[in-house]
Formats: sequence, C-alpha cells, structure tokens
Amino acid sequence: MITDLHRIGIKFLTARGDDIPLTDFIPIFHAWIQEGKLEDVMIDVAEYSHVPAGPGTMLIAHEGNYAIDETGNRRGFVYYSKQEVSGDNLADRLAVVCRKNLAACKLLEAEDTFKDRLAFDFGRIEIFFNDRLNGPNSDETWQAFEPVLKSFMARLYPNTDFEARYETGDPRERFSVSVSLQDDAASAEDLLARL
Amino acid sequence: MTTWKETLKDEMPAELAQEIDTFETQIGLKKQGKIDDKLFAETRLRRGAYGQRYDNGQRHDGVETRELHYPTAATKGPDTLWDAPGMMRIKIPFGGMNAEQMDVMADLAEEYSDAICHVTTRQDIQLHYIHIDDTPDLQRRLAAVGITTREACGNGVRNVTACPISGVCNDESFDVTPYSKAMAFFLLGHPDTQDFGRKFKVAFSGCKGKACGLTNIHDLGFIARKKMVDGEEKRGFEMYVGGGLGAVPYEAKPFDEFVPETEILPLAQAISRVFARLGEKRNRGRARIKFLIDKIGIDEFRRLVLAEREILPHDERWTGYLDDVRAWEETPVKEPAELTTGVSDAQFETWRATNIYRQKQKGYTTVTVALPLGDLTSWQMRQLADIARKYCGDNVRLTVEQNIVLRWVAEADLPAVYRELEHVGLAQPGAGTIFDVVSCPGTDTCKLGISSSRGLAGELHERLATRYQQFDSAIQGLRIKISGCFNSCGQHHLADLGFYGVSRKVGGRTVPHFRVVLGGQWENNGGSYGLTVGAVPSKRVPDFVDRITEKYLAEREGEQESFQAFIQRFGKRELKKVLDEFSAVPPYEMDPSYYSDWRDPREYSITDIGVGECAGEVVSRIDFDLQNAERLYFEAQLQHEEGNYQKADETAFQAMVVAAGGLVRLENQDVPDEADKVVPEFRKRFYDTGLFHDKYAGGKFAEYLFNRYEDTNREYTADKVRLLLEETQLFIEAAHACNTRLIEQASAERKAKLDKD
Repeated sequence: MITDLHRIGIKFLTARGDDIPLTDFIPIFHAWIQEGKLEDVMIDVAEYSHVPAGPGTMLIAHEGNYAIDETGNRRGFVYYSKQEVSGDNLADRLAVVCRKNLAACKLLEAEDTFKDRLAFDFGRIEIFFNDRLNGPNSDETWQAFEPVLKSFMARLYPNTDFEARYETGDPRERFSVSVSLQDDAASAEDLLARL
Repeated sequence: MTTWKETLKDEMPAELAQEIDTFETQIGLKKQGKIDDKLFAETRLRRGAYGQRYDNGQRHDGVETRELHYPTAATKGPDTLWDAPGMMRIKIPFGGMNAEQMDVMADLAEEYSDAICHVTTRQDIQLHYIHIDDTPDLQRRLAAVGITTREACGNGVRNVTACPISGVCNDESFDVTPYSKAMAFFLLGHPDTQDFGRKFKVAFSGCKGKACGLTNIHDLGFIARKKMVDGEEKRGFEMYVGGGLGAVPYEAKPFDEFVPETEILPLAQAISRVFARLGEKRNRGRARIKFLIDKIGIDEFRRLVLAEREILPHDERWTGYLDDVRAWEETPVKEPAELTTGVSDAQFETWRATNIYRQKQKGYTTVTVALPLGDLTSWQMRQLADIARKYCGDNVRLTVEQNIVLRWVAEADLPAVYRELEHVGLAQPGAGTIFDVVSCPGTDTCKLGISSSRGLAGELHERLATRYQQFDSAIQGLRIKISGCFNSCGQHHLADLGFYGVSRKVGGRTVPHFRVVLGGQWENNGGSYGLTVGAVPSKRVPDFVDRITEKYLAEREGEQESFQAFIQRFGKRELKKVLDEFSAVPPYEMDPSYYSDWRDPREYSITDIGVGECAGEVVSRIDFDLQNAERLYFEAQLQHEEGNYQKADETAFQAMVVAAGGLVRLENQDVPDEADKVVPEFRKRFYDTGLFHDKYAGGKFAEYLFNRYEDTNREYTADKVRLLLEETQLFIEAAHACNTRLIEQASAERKAKLDKD
C-alpha cells in the first residue's frame, strides 16, 4: 500500500555542474556536518566516485541519505528517507522529503567553491520509492500514486502544468517517476517557501 | 499493513524463518530492557549485524569530537547506540551466488543501505549504514533466496571460503566446492561451535601452488589431494590448522597430509570442541586458535583433537554429504565454443589479457569482473545478474580479491560479454594486477580503522589505472593490498606491496601513516608473509609505490627475479633507505595536507577509533541458552494473552527445558534440547546433587520442571497456564542464579589455586 510508504526519494537534476569532480563535494559535506547545516542527524560522508553511474558522494544521516548522485548517468542532488517520515499522508511525507532536499540544494548552490558553476533545475524532478513491498514498480503503484503526485505538485508549483512520466521498464528497478515542468522552474528558496 | 514476514512466509525455509523471528523477538526484548547489552551485542553479531564507526555517538569532525544526537539513548551493545547505523555482513559460502540472489542483494542495498554492494576479502557481501530495526526483514528477504547471515560475525565459524575457480581450474586435484558447502552448513549453528573465545575461519583450496583458497592464513585449511589406497584412487585433503593474519600473523601448521573425505567433518567438529574447551576466553588478543596451537604445540593439539574425535557421538552427516558431492555439477547455459575469429578491439584485448581464465573444460572461460574497491551499485548488480543469466547461468562466485567471476562463459561469447559489461561499467581490465587494489573498509566505516585504506586504495587505483599500459609486465603483475589497521582485513601480508594504517605524532599533531609490508607471497595459498619495514605518511604512499617499483625494474637480477626475491635480496637496510626518502613530514604550517587523510579533509585524528566488534563479546553457550529460555517465556506470555493456552503451556515448558538444558550442557555437552533427555540429566546432575537448590527455597523451583514434565494429563485453562508461567519465570531465575553460583565457585577455585601456587 503506498499509503504506508516512508522510504521516499527525490532527486533534482543539475542545470550545470556535471563537470565538477565528485570528490570536490567531500569537504563541503564534512563542513556541513561540522557546522550542523542540515536538520537531520548527520553522521558521515561516503565517497563512491570510483563507481560509474553510482551514488556519487553521499552525506549519510540518520533520517536518510543526501548525495550528489549519478544514478542513471544523470547527475543531480538526491535525498531519500530511511526512517519514518512525519506527515499524515504520502503527499505530506513527500513534501517533508522535498523540503530536506531543497534545503541542501540551496546550501550547495550558495557554496563559494561552486559559485556560478553549480545549479539545479528544480523543474526536472525524479521521485522514487525505496520500498518494493509497499511501492513496487508497477502500473498499480503508478495509478495509486498519480493523484498524490498531483496534490504534491499543486503545492510545489501551483497553477503550473507539468508532465509526469512513468515507465515500468525493468520491473526489478525501484518505482520511479520523472516530472518536468512546462514553464520555468522556481528557485530552491521559492519552493521552500511553498512547503 | 503488508509485511515481508507475511509476504515471504512460503518462500523461506522454516528453520531460517524461525531463527529470524527469534532474532526479531530478541530485538523486542532488548528494547524493553530485558536483555543485557553484552549478550545482545553477541546475539546480533551472530546474526551478521555489526557495528560501524561512530556508533558510540561521537565523531571527530576535524576540529573537535562532537556528539551525534540520535533520537534515542537506547543501546544495542556496550557503548553502541541503537540508532547508529551498522554494517550487515552476508556470508556467501564459497562465494557462490546465483542470479536471483544477486537481484535480491541489489534490492537490499538500495532499500536499506546506500545502493552499494561491497565484496569483502572473505567472499562475503557487506552492506553499510543499516538500521538494526531493518535487519529482520533484510534477513527474511535473504532467507527467501537461501542465504543466511547467521554467524557472519561474532565468535563463531565465519564464512567458509573456497577457490573461486574450483571445478574449472586446470591445476586442481578436484572440485572443492561441494566440500566447502558441506563444511559451511555442517558447522553452521552446530552446538560445538557456539562456545568459542574468538572467530574461526575455514578455507578450501583445489591445489597447493596457486593462491587459491589461501589456506595458509586460515584457522582450518583444506587442500584437495588424491591418494591411491589399495589400488583405488581416494579423495582427501591435506589439512592445516592455526594460520591467521592480524597483528601477530601465523602461518598454518600441517595437521595431516591426507585426511580422507569421510573424516573432514568429524575432525572439524573435534577441533571445534578442543578450541571451545581450551582456547583463551579472557585475553581477546590471544584467543584465536593459532595461539592455542602455539602454546601447546601442534603435536599435543593433534593428540587432543584425535582423542576428541574418538569419543564424538556418531553423526550421519559426516558421510551423508558425500552423496551431494558425487551429484554436484554446474550447468552452463551455452554450449562450449572457442573464439576462432580475431577481434580488432584493443580495449577488448587488454581486458581479455587479464580478466579471462581458460577453463579446463574446452571452449569455456571464467570471466573476472574487476570491481574497484570491491564495490558495485545496485543497478550494476542487477545488470550483472542478467549477464550471468544470459551467458553463464547461476555460476557466479565472489573472490577474495573483492571481484566477481562468471564461470562457464563460452569463449566465443567473450566479445559480447565484454560489450555488455562495458555498457554497465563493469569491464575494467587489470584483474589481479597492480591497479586492482584490495582494501578493507578502514576509517570509512570500521571502528578500528586507523588510516583511510579505501581513500588510499581509490587514489592508487586512479593513478595506476591511467599508467597501467606503460608499465613493464613485471610491474603490471604486482599486487597491492591495504588494511586500515594492523588487523589485516585487507590481507596486506600477502601482497607484493602491502600497507596498513598507523599514526605518528609530528609537532604535536597526529599524521596518518601507512606501515609498509613488502614481498608477501600470494601464490602457494598465501605461502609466506611480507617483510615489514618502516612507515610512510599516507600522502607519500603513491610516490613510494612509484619509487620502489622503479627500483625493482632497474635493479632486479634478470627478468626472472620476482619482486619477492628482489625484496629479500635487497634487504631491510636498503629498503629503509628508500623509505627514508618519503618519511619526512613537513610542519603543518608549510603543508597541512599531510595532516589529513586521503579523501577526508578533516584534520586527522585517531580519537574516533572505537572498540572493535571483530572479537565479538565473550558469551558462553549457557548465556545464549538462558536468553533463549527468556525469549520462549516471553512468547508464552503473548500466547497466553492471545488465549492460546495450550500453546502457551507448551512454550513455557520448553523454556524451562532450554534453561535446564543449558545447565546440563555445562557438564555434558552432548545433551540435546529434548525434555526426555534434559530432565533426567538435570535431575541427576543438578537436583540430586543440590547444585540447583536455592538457599531458602531448596529444590522447589526444580520441582516446577519435574511436575510439568510428569503431568501427562494437562488441563489448558487460563489460570493453570498462568500458574505455569509464574513457575517458569521462577525456574529461569533459579537457573540464572545457579549459573552465577557456578561461575563464582569456579572463580574462587581458580583464585585458591593461584594463591596456593
């Protein structure tokens, strides 16, 4: 049942910055831990630059994992929850996960190291479920999730058209939906204000 | 709410399902504070749930040590916080995996870990950053595809390893795979392996001359041999004991030059008994079997083992497994076919030169999928499973060099396999060469890590990969292995160039270093250990590698002189000179980069080193039995609450039997947990002798057990069962008290003896 889902992930693809070495993110994440920049209990940095199309450089937290991620050969910033997420329903929980991701993206874009070199396209979003029990990669999940997605997107981008694309593809892969906006995307700050 | 337990109930072997339910109950009991920290730590370790760095809730962030504010203050072991992520070690006997298992591994890594599957130097898979509450479901999903994590950590028999090309090897005596499998499942959960003071590692090799199963570094090693007996060829094994790496490496000692195949299981059992009985339990640093053998001598050890073997109660499994051995075969998915046409692809040829092994079966090859630092993503694991399905079937093995091999690939399919591996980023050439660097997790995740072995390995891998083609073949073939500390999980003693993490104080600051171990032998089952020379700062290790390899190339005595021979000839004095070129550390103000480790910009500190869990907790079998009794009692309470009185009654009785059985086995270890066996033994040894008697209540609590045992006309009413539950609780308490008295008595006797001496 997707109503029981808590292992939710959101990825914002990069608008620029794909050429920045993954190892350049290591000191940034360490500094975030040092300075307590994020609301989660941040634990450590894990580095997988040696693995192609992998989870990249990760900031491991108790509540979930943050990463400059290259899964699917698409670089973006990802956050996925590994614990129960607050919220009465899936749309609320999705908003919590999204808010955490946006907060990290905003910080990253503001880092001096990446000034003018790194930006995220908040109009290109991937949403996925790390839970094959409650959210298998199937049309049924998509049918159940589509109204939730609409409700969530109405909050994130009110009065803006978007296109959601779900393809089962390899059924073993986790359930994943790509969302793209018809109009220009908002900034992380604006989106955070809406959540 | 749907659960994995319900979803997979028909797919899990009943025994595995029961074990996992039990573990889940133990987690519940621990949360209620009903299990002691030490006991729970060893319990979870024996389920493969290991601690990770910072799980004491503290982390040095480069400036100071700070608290990690986890949601709860609960613990899952001494100084180990409940919410701190841990590592799950998944033992894969002989490294053998099938495609379905690979798919599941990929899912688990994605859902509970960080989407990375890490292959270890003992053919396990490790998943990191896992919450303890997720482990029962994770284990259920593994159980549904025939994998258990039982005894993957802790003081038990670890994964039984074997040569990854056994069965297809040109040099082997015979395929050791079915023997290693039989050994793994015979020793798994065996009562005689539950009371060790430390871990115990077993390995199988098909031949003596190659690296194969690395029997020389194992507690118990078997090398396949054939022997003519009365004109008939018999299979057996050359058997070795007491090898091991770690801070004090020991080469294994020969136990017997030929042990018939019918005797390997009972001898392993006899060795387990001797180790459990005589092995060190208090001093963790001296508790491996190698120290016992060193102390009493191999001849005395052999005598004790053979004497124990004589009195072992017969077990059908000792020889029963031989039917499986005879029936063992692997099924390729393709017909054999040689590659007869040329392939004009230089990259393919580079890969083919290092990653392909021509099997003894004509037309078939074994493909090594070289994994950088032993890692692959969930997606890669799934794709690899598909490649296996298409080209080699379920014939996949993990290797001790942290790679994966696909066996039974038709040689004619190699170009296609290469293309498909390349497509998923798994066609890295150089398997078993200088840039296929092996490394333990080190400071990345290990509590004992001193220096960043993975950081250094990643750096060396990157640098050497780009220059590989320019190297002389003598350099290309060298092996580098790195451990984060002296415990040798990276097997640095066996490498041409081995390194292990240490630290040094320079100008009041701590600087990460690696101690250099040169000229270890990989061949001959890890035949000899390298020469330990000095230490170099972490940041100078790549330069040192360049220098020593250049020196070898320039100064070796002819092309035939191996690196190992060169190191021996060159000698420690000369090596020290080379080392000295790199040992200086500039002041922090001049170059602060020396004061942080590879791929970790925090100013280096060793304050994060914690108490490792490799050693597990010393928990005797009686502690587990009493814990098991407590769990059964708890389950009986639940059954009573649910109105299932008969079941509650039976479970409560079983709890008493288990507690009594634990005590009985202190004197007679062969008594199984059956009431008809335990109760008479308990009466004889503990009731009639007064050992169980309470100071005030006398033998009353024991009578609860006898009364229930003798009551053949039970009534299962709520009140009667409630009464039995109360009696059960009192009986278990009395068993605890009896155990405590026995321990104190033994301790007093020891002290008196010492005083007398």
